[in-house]
Formats: sequence, C-alpha cells, structure tokens
Amino acid sequence: MFITCLPGIWIFISAFRPNAEILSKPANWFPDNWTIYEFTQMFSIEGYVSVPAFDYLKNSIIISLTSTIIAITIGMMGGYAFARFNFKGKNKIFLGLMLARAVPGISLSLPLFILWAKLGLINTSFGVIIVYVAMNVPFTIWLTDGFFRQIPKEMSEVARTDGCTRLQAFWNVELPLAGPGIAAAGIFAFLLSWNEYALASVLTRTIASKTLPIGMMDYLSEFTINWAGMCAIAVVMIVPAVILTFIVQKHLVSGLTFGGVKG
Amino acid sequence: MAEVNLKNLTKKYGDVVAVQDMNLKIPHNEFLVLVGPSGCGKSTTLRMIAGLEEISGGEIYIGDELVNNKDPKDRNISMVFQNYALYPHMTVEQNLGFSLKIAKVNPSEIEEKVTEAVAILGLEDLRKRKPSQLSGGQRQRVAMGRAIVRRPDAFLFDEPLSNLDAKLRTQMRTEIKKLHQKLKTTVIYVTHDQVEAMTLADRIIIMREGFIEQIGSPIEVFNNPVNVFVATFIGSPPMNVIECEVVNENNNLFIKIDKDMLMPCPPSKKDKLKKSPKVYVGIRAEDIVPSENSTDAEKKGWNFEKSIDLAEPLGTETQLFFKLNDKDVISRMYNPRVIEVGEKIKFEVDLEKIHLFDHETEKAI
Ligand SMILES: Nc1ncnc2c1ncn2[C@@H]1O[C@H](COP(=O)(O)OP(=O)(O)O)[C@@H](O)[C@H]1O
Ligand SMILES: [Mg+2]
Repeated sequence: MFITCLPGIWIFISAFRPNAEILSKPANWFPDNWTIYEFTQMFSIEGYVSVPAFDYLKNSIIISLTSTIIAITIGMMGGYAFARFNFKGKNKIFLGLMLARAVPGISLSLPLFILWAKLGLINTSFGVIIVYVAMNVPFTIWLTDGFFRQIPKEMSEVARTDGCTRLQAFWNVELPLAGPGIAAAGIFAFLLSWNEYALASVLTRTIASKTLPIGMMDYLSEFTINWAGMCAIAVVMIVPAVILTFIVQKHLVSGLTFGGVKG
Repeated sequence: MAEVNLKNLTKKYGDVVAVQDMNLKIPHNEFLVLVGPSGCGKSTTLRMIAGLEEISGGEIYIGDELVNNKDPKDRNISMVFQNYALYPHMTVEQNLGFSLKIAKVNPSEIEEKVTEAVAILGLEDLRKRKPSQLSGGQRQRVAMGRAIVRRPDAFLFDEPLSNLDAKLRTQMRTEIKKLHQKLKTTVIYVTHDQVEAMTLADRIIIMREGFIEQIGSPIEVFNNPVNVFVATFIGSPPMNVIECEVVNENNNLFIKIDKDMLMPCPPSKKDKLKKSPKVYVGIRAEDIVPSENSTDAEKKGWNFEKSIDLAEPLGTETQLFFKLNDKDVISRMYNPRVIEVGEKIKFEVDLEKIHLFDHETEKAI
C-alpha cells in the first residue's frame, strides 16, 4: 500500500511545483514554492501554451466512456447469452474470446496501423473506440457471464410465469440482480481504456484523437523533460479515475465477491 | 378456472426420454399430484405445462386453448418453485404485486389484491421485508402469495415443501390443502414424497422413467396398486413383496412363502395362478397381524409363526422385522408390548388382503 502510494504522492506534490525544484538535489519532499503554473498552462483558454491537455482530456473521456458503454452493452448481451442459452459451438466461441484476450495488444499494433490507415481510421476517436471495444468485449462478456450464472434460472422463469416476456424478465429481475457485477465490469473496462498507451500511441497523431497517456509524452522533448508538466497531466489522469472508482466502489466490492464464488 | 389436457405429451433430451407419450385430463378444480422417484420426469412435465420447456411431441390444452406455442406469460398459470425464487431485490409486497404491475393493473387495485393475499397467508407484518429477512416458511408463504394474487387458471407446484424441515412441511401441507379449498383452482403438484401425495391429492399419478404407472385416488392406488413398483412406492412402510414359488399339492394351489411354509392360494386368484411357477406376494405391514392383537373372532385368517429379528417401537405401534424367503418383512403391532429379539410370534394374514403380482411383468394379478 505504502509502496503503491509513494510515487502517487510524489506525482501530486511535483505537479504543484516548478520544474527546477523537482530536479534539485538533494530532493526535498515539500516544495518551497507551491504553484499551479502547469495547470494554468495546460488549460489556458487563450491558445495552449504548453500542452493541449483540455483536448486530450476531452478525447480520453469520449473514447473511454463510449468504448466502455459499447463494450458493456455488448458484453451484457453476450454474457447473458452464454449464461442462459445453449447454442452450437458455445464453448468454442467462449474459448476463442478468451484467447483473443490473451493476445498482447502491442503485437497487433502494426497490422492494426496498416489496416486502419487504409480505412482512414488513423487519428480518429472512432478508430480508437473500435479497438478499445474489441479489447474490452471478451473481458466484459466473461465477467457478466459469471454474474448472470450466479442468478438462478428460476428467477427469470418465475418472472415469465408472472407475465413477463423474456426481455421484461431480464429488465425487471435479472439486470437489477446482476447490476453490481456489471458496474464492476464497466469500471474495469473504463480504466483499461483510460490508461491504455501502447495501441493509442500507434493510432493517434494529433489533438484530434490523442488521449491523456499519449499527451503526456508531449512533455518529453528532445533535450528536456518537463517533469512538472508531466506530473500535472498525470494528476489530471488519476483524479477522474480515482473519483469514479470511489463512486462505484461499493458496487465494485459486492460485484467482485459476488463473481468471486464462480472464479 | 380451467381444465388442463395433455395429449401424447413427449419430451426428449437427445436420446434421453424424459416424458413418454403422456395422456392426461385434469378437470377444473382438481388437486392432482404427480409423484415418483427423482428423475422420473415430473418436473419436466410441469415445466412443459408452464411453457418453460419446449415439448418434443403432443399437445397441451389449457381450457379449450392449444397452448403448445404460447409463451408462459400467455398461459395464465402460476408456478411455485422448490427454491421459492422470490425476487431478492423486491420487498414482500413488491414480490406479490409484481405480476399485476407487469399486467399494468392500476396501483389501487394492486394494493387491494396484495392486501387480500397477505391476509390469506398471514404475512401482514412482513410486507416491507426483503426475502433475505424471512425464514424458510415465510418465504414459502410469499412464494404462494405471489402465485395466488393473479388468480391463475392453474397452479403448478414443483416440490414446494422439500426445503422445509419436517414439522413445517406438515404444517404447510395443511395450509396448501386449505388454500386449495378456498381458491377452488386446478392444482398440479409435483413431489417425490408419497405421504405428501396421499394427503394432498384428489388424484395421484405415479410416474416412473417418463411413463405413467397408475392414476387414481389416494385410496385406489393404495388398495389396488397395479404393479410391484406402485405397491412398494405408495405406503409407509413399503408393502412387503416376497418372491415365492407356486406349489400344487393334491390339486390344491399353495404359495411357498418360506422354507417349509405353504400359504393357501387366495380362492379368488386360483384360476390365474395355475400356470405360473412363481409369483410375487405383496402384503402390507398392517395386514400381517400378530395373532395376540387379532380382532378376527372367527379366525378365518391363515396363521404362521416366525421368530423376530428386530423390533422397532414407534409409540402407537411397534414394527416387527422377520424374514420370509430371505426377504426382510415388516409387521405392524398396534398394541405394543416389549418384544425380545428371537421371540417367536404368531401372525395371521387375511388371504383376501394379499396382493399377487405376475413374476414376469410384475403386474397385479
Ligand atoms: N436440461 C436437461 N438436459 C438433459 N436431460 C435432462 C434435462 N432436464 C432433465 N433431464 C432428464 O430428464 C429426466 C427427468 O427429469 P426431471 O423431470 O427433472 O425429473 P424429476 O423432476 O421427476 O426428478 C431425468 O432423467 C433428467 O436427467
Ligand atoms: Mg424435479
């Protein structure tokens, strides 16, 4: 816990002090001069002075949120289908999905780049969203399948004898019961997209689609590294993720233990 | 308010035949119990009637309507499951009112019907509770309440009491019976417990491996079982069934019930036994009467004497165990006294009360 937190604290502190101080030796923990200079620089309204963090943040939010929503929707339907219906080749498809998940994303980056370039999807949010959806769907299917399996099938059956269609039974009974689990799956998918670097670095070029992790590299120039700026943008990245995690924390915990039984 | 009619109903899972060619007419208002050992196809039958299981062949009518291709929601039936399947995220009253809410009944009417149901089932104080805050018996009641609020054409129960402890089970059994008398609706009730079947049913169906073995009132199936399976399934303790040779001595037919022990063939069955070398003899434990308890003043019964292997006192009766043709046999002694192991006891059997079953087909003779 301490070890994970320490760099985080350092990042936080460093985000609020001038670059010169960060590099000073011996390192001092508490800044002599607090400043929000880097933040004002990033988000300056009259044209960006350092790095267009606002655009990156916007891209990150759009890309992560959209891909998560799509991945969760598909995952939910897929997971439900795997949990409730028997169809031909079910086990093989499931295995295929898991294998797809096992392939390291980076190994796909070159073929993906070529393909996306041909399709004109390079440097578009849409292009990144598609990739993130593909990356997250096997995972969300696997998780939601587990959650739906936990719900006895009699739940939907009794709802159907109570006058529900399959869809109504799903909507009124099974979905509320699987809700926490699905929220947990959503968080995972979101964080995965939010923090993803390898593929985004290949597929994005400009402020039209660059996300925060990629944007961070703007502070790396040929000869200097703006540590303060990097830390500031890292804070911009971490804070929403932490807030989001706290909001759904309760669900996350119950969701994880709920699914934990199944493994 | 409807009769249920099954015609040649069949269900196959791949090569496994779960229900085979079932024909059955359940009149309006009847309490029908499907009973049989685990895996005999009871649940499958019920689930096909509910519309939760596709049928492989045959027809199902509810009222005059062919419902083969109808969704469960359009069959106007209610089902109570073994594990209750209450909606965990809803309170008791929400559970009860759910079907009405789905049917878009207006809230004041829902309230009225829910209130009526909780009153019938004594759930008034639990209305705001969630299922997780209820005991097993209370959950069972909520499950029944949920089934009755919508006044279905038929109730389907799948082993609703098997998760309750023995005492509660007896109590709920009585309540279900009363409920049926009050609501006057067709009930199809599945259980593997023959006592439940006997006590609840207007008519019992005994199933085995997807087939109907016998249909009849509890008394009929108890008194006139059609085969060895039914004879040993219905009644507790199970009917004693002993494999015996048929012996012809001086033109008189006897049944060799034990080593050196010949029992005269019941006169009414003589013709049918003539050609069989062997036969299964079925005698209920209460029909093997210790002579000291006999109320048969004229002593018409056939007598024999055996030494006792084991005596189990149950209070109102003592069950005496001994062997006939190496088979454990039980007799019920209704005026119990202390019995020593090895003690020789005289018994008496009314020959007209014994059951005979064909040695090959196991069917009643
Ligand atoms: N989904 C299924 N797939 C394959 N076989 C099944 C399925 N459901 C039930 N069976 C088989 O059908 C037979 C009857 O089952 P069931 O109706 O549940 O029995 P019961 O309720 O009398 O215990 C059993 O042999 C069981 O193994
Ligand atoms: Mg069953």
